[in-house]
Amino acid sequence: MRRYAFFPGCFIQVRQPHLEALSRRILGELGVELVDVEGFTCCPEAVTLSVDKMSWRVMAARNLSLAEELGLDILTLCNGCLYTLRTVNQELKGDEELRGRVNDALSVIDREFRGLIRVRHFAEILIEDLERMKAHVERPLEGLRIACHTGCHILSPPEVMGFDDPYDPVILDELVEALGAEAVDYDLKTLCCGWTLSTYGSREASERLLASKLNSMRRGGATAIAVICPQCFHQFDVGQASAARRLGIEYRLPVFYYLELLALAMGFSLDEVGYRYHRVRSGEVEEALEVIG
Amino acid sequence: MRSSHPLRARPIVIGVAEACLRCGVCCAVETHFCHVQFEEEFDERYTYVYHCLSTPDPASNQGIWLCTACHKCEEVCPYETSPLRFIEAAKAEAYKRGLAPRLLTGIIAQITSTGYLFPITPSTVRRRAELGLKPLTTEAAEELRQIALKTGLTEPRGEP
Repeated sequence: MRRYAFFPGCFIQVRQPHLEALSRRILGELGVELVDVEGFTCCPEAVTLSVDKMSWRVMAARNLSLAEELGLDILTLCNGCLYTLRTVNQELKGDEELRGRVNDALSVIDREFRGLIRVRHFAEILIEDLERMKAHVERPLEGLRIACHTGCHILSPPEVMGFDDPYDPVILDELVEALGAEAVDYDLKTLCCGWTLSTYGSREASERLLASKLNSMRRGGATAIAVICPQCFHQFDVGQASAARRLGIEYRLPVFYYLELLALAMGFSLDEVGYRYHRVRSGEVEEALEVIG
Repeated sequence: MRSSHPLRARPIVIGVAEACLRCGVCCAVETHFCHVQFEEEFDERYTYVYHCLSTPDPASNQGIWLCTACHKCEEVCPYETSPLRFIEAAKAEAYKRGLAPRLLTGIIAQITSTGYLFPITPSTVRRRAELGLKPLTTEAAEELRQIALKTGLTEPRGEP
């Protein structure tokens, strides 16, 4: 049994708790013990807190120190949380002067960053032990053609994130194919999901981006999308529904958080994985899963 | 009031703007480009990065807030400049001067008062209970508030 300090991330905890519930169940069945840590807060989110990098580092270091006290590596479900926690962890491990300044600020709450742990994304521990995961596949997802969107913040900068090639990511494809589905290629694979455009920019720009990306996925032959980040999930689900309504185009490309696909391959029903919480559903995908049985 | 807090002393990265040759690669290679190019005002000749680097007062340019720190611009730049560092420095300067969007300052207030980036709504509470998940608590936010006081994050902002 592998044990981790579980860091679901506040987007999943607050907005998508069905993904938290499913992740706890599925990772548990794969032999991953998730330890809840009292006191974890927002990672904090890098785009917002980039206005004050020192505050960003100190708040992240506080979360890291909580896991250090338990002697556990952190396991997160979110690309953004991974970006913040891994970046700060690496910066502080490698820069004594910076670590001193951060620890000076942390001293007001009697905490200290020591640099003892690693920060992991669930996709990393799955790909590292692919055979163990494949052994749990009872219902290969044959017939599903999936466009994989890895997301920006787990890929870049590669010298820090070290997950996959930011120009040509393939690990999520490998994870999808391990479930028996087909990972399709498409030309805008590394284009951002557009989350910040829908937050700080114009809705029209966000929808134009989504239209380009979804059309590219459709041209590649996809019938569904796979992601490993909750914000990308939201953008391809809620954002797609909104774009389809306003642009008058039905893309009908349901998005699945990877652990939902894994659960389906392990024999869970669409209802059990939380499909009822999805805004974009597709008869094509539902029928394919019925055929699989 | 400009903050003189020692933890926040950081100059704008002028060097990036000077080194950039405005070649447009960071925003023009369609398979690996900046997502902000989808805003209507930008195209291959007037790119988002060019827009950020060429504004006389970068901190007052509201376009800087569209950057999501995806690092693609610095990855594809043939001259190894980092528009991201420039934009982040401009954001920091804007925040000091009270020019950040109210949405952003609201999010910071949300994080330091609850510990979460997003508000915990009745729907959150209900759905977590339905799923058998523990209720979310906000006690840890007190430590974030103390950190923010120490670093000066939540000091009043405004033009110097």
